[in-house]
Amino acid sequence: MAANAIDQTRRMLSLVTYLRERPGAYVADVARAFGITEDELISDLDVLPMCGTSFRGGDLLDIDTDGERIWWRNPDASGESTAEPLRLAADEATALLVAARAVATLPGLRESDRDALLRATAKLEAAAGEVAGASSRLSVTFESEGGVFADVDRAIAERRRLWLRYYSPARDELTERKVDPIRLFAVGHTYMEGWCHLSEARRTFRLDRVAEIRILDERAEPPAIEPRDLSEGLVQPAAEDPEVVVEVGPGGRWVAEYYPHDSAEELPEGGLRITLRSPDPASLRRLALRLGREGRIVVPAELAESARSAAREALAGYGEQV
Amino acid sequence: MAIAKAERLMNLALCLLGTRRPLSKRELRGSIEAYMEAGNDESFNRMFERDKDDLRELGLVIETVENLDGDTGYLARRDSNRLPPVSLDAEEAAALGLAAKVWQQARLAGAASGALQKLRAGGMPEAGDPYAGQHSAIEPRIPVHEAAFEPLMLACRDRRPVAFDYRKSNAARPEARQVEPWALECWRGHWYLAGYDRDRGAERVFRLSRITGKVRSRAAKYTAEVPDVVTVRETVASWAGEGAERSALIRLRAGAGYPLRAKATAVREGAEGWDELEIPYGHGLDAWLVEFGPDVVVVEPADLRADVVDRLRAVAKG
Repeated sequence: MAANAIDQTRRMLSLVTYLRERPGAYVADVARAFGITEDELISDLDVLPMCGTSFRGGDLLDIDTDGERIWWRNPDASGESTAEPLRLAADEATALLVAARAVATLPGLRESDRDALLRATAKLEAAAGEVAGASSRLSVTFESEGGVFADVDRAIAERRRLWLRYYSPARDELTERKVDPIRLFAVGHTYMEGWCHLSEARRTFRLDRVAEIRILDERAEPPAIEPRDLSEGLVQPAAEDPEVVVEVGPGGRWVAEYYPHDSAEELPEGGLRITLRSPDPASLRRLALRLGREGRIVVPAELAESARSAAREALAGYGEQV
Repeated sequence: MAIAKAERLMNLALCLLGTRRPLSKRELRGSIEAYMEAGNDESFNRMFERDKDDLRELGLVIETVENLDGDTGYLARRDSNRLPPVSLDAEEAAALGLAAKVWQQARLAGAASGALQKLRAGGMPEAGDPYAGQHSAIEPRIPVHEAAFEPLMLACRDRRPVAFDYRKSNAARPEARQVEPWALECWRGHWYLAGYDRDRGAERVFRLSRITGKVRSRAAKYTAEVPDVVTVRETVASWAGEGAERSALIRLRAGAGYPLRAKATAVREGAEGWDELEIPYGHGLDAWLVEFGPDVVVVEPADLRADVVDRLRAVAKG
């Protein structure tokens, strides 16, 4: 993370209060308590001796470290001003309260976790005072399937294998598979990442597409793999995936919001020419059908033709000829 | 080398917190090395004003006292700046630790860690063994991809009217909007704004990804009353076809269309490899049914049947 002066100042103000009570604190312990790396802590400790109430008066903070432990030799120099932590700012109260409330509403969360979140939220609201009010202006809802969530959660805790009947929208089919669960995460919807024995690969499953789930009496043994970085988006097409070009009118611009794409070029009259990549272009037939008059697939030609023929076949079901 | 900004802010904070009487700008300038090196008065003044704003963003309450020998004085009183005692047990601390990791937006992620650090300095216990299966394994994340998020969040917080260009879902071009923003809500991973649209004289909900260009602040007061409860989700859910009151009858090929079956209020086995389903008929059902191509046939109502046929014709023509 880039060094941000505001975040660093905020952290250093809390740090002096924390160190005041703990002469000789260990660098490793303090870094852990503050949720920062030891390097970040050392860089704060480099700045603090330059700070005080007057640089000429000789009352700079005499904070010193040998890289292992931290000593503050004149905690009285800053008077009582650093004896207590500072009140919460509006953004700080908002960030924690909004997140805690959102997590507390997740269906399937363990009741003990939900209770702890609600208790903590109430105490935080009281401590934040009037600045807590701003937190009502942001809210977040996570979607989840409570029963499936609870089963996946239990399987992870007990390291057990799962059996799923899972819906794949790309193929409009249900498949049965065994999965060794690795993690459970929520980004709008709730997902399980796991090792799929059917595809012999890491797969991400959206919980609302799990039609049936069972916890097996088999030990889950997922291979050790680096967890995915969730900040990069869930769908990450590979460079070698085939290219798909979609042209949409104004009513089809949502395609650019829902599909990660390489480029979206403006067309006259508010349309877009969207270039994206998909490991399985045939799975985009659904998109071509959905777009109707709002857009069409340009490349690949086979995909465009398969959408047209699906539409003709469907029309035959209504006794229509095209 | 220029003195790092964090060092300068820290010194200003310590001076303002440490004093019992208001300090004039001149006194502060004489105490803080970075200000002495600031060059002329103008650049010092600019720097000082910005630094005060930054410290206020961190929650510092800085009082301004006029007429101190014709000078303005500044101080941050302990009483108005201290965190009241908060006693959190290890379970509650673990819960807040989880909540603090949720934001994928720099400003709020920084604010959440900052809040946790203040609580830690105030004696919040450290969570025990983070694993051991005591807690749900969930990792919740709140995505923020929309550039309009931060300016709108600040505008909602400070109750400032804004102006932006907005492209409605089926519009060829964006239109200028003037809005008194009330609240932001994230649903299914997308952010929405509810507020009072001045030109339309009514409440509106906007999807942040459809805001084009910059969000501009307007220095003026709100003209419409802010409701006690702002409901974004209900509006968006109705766009998504939820809360449907009508019902449709469709034929679905056996084995196909699991999500339609999951939504169905009734499923009957029909003839020759087809099932008959009753499903809620709300906004957007026609587009969804067309996705299933020849595996779905709408039986009734007639308007839905006509809409689906219409869409299929458009696709068949290419």
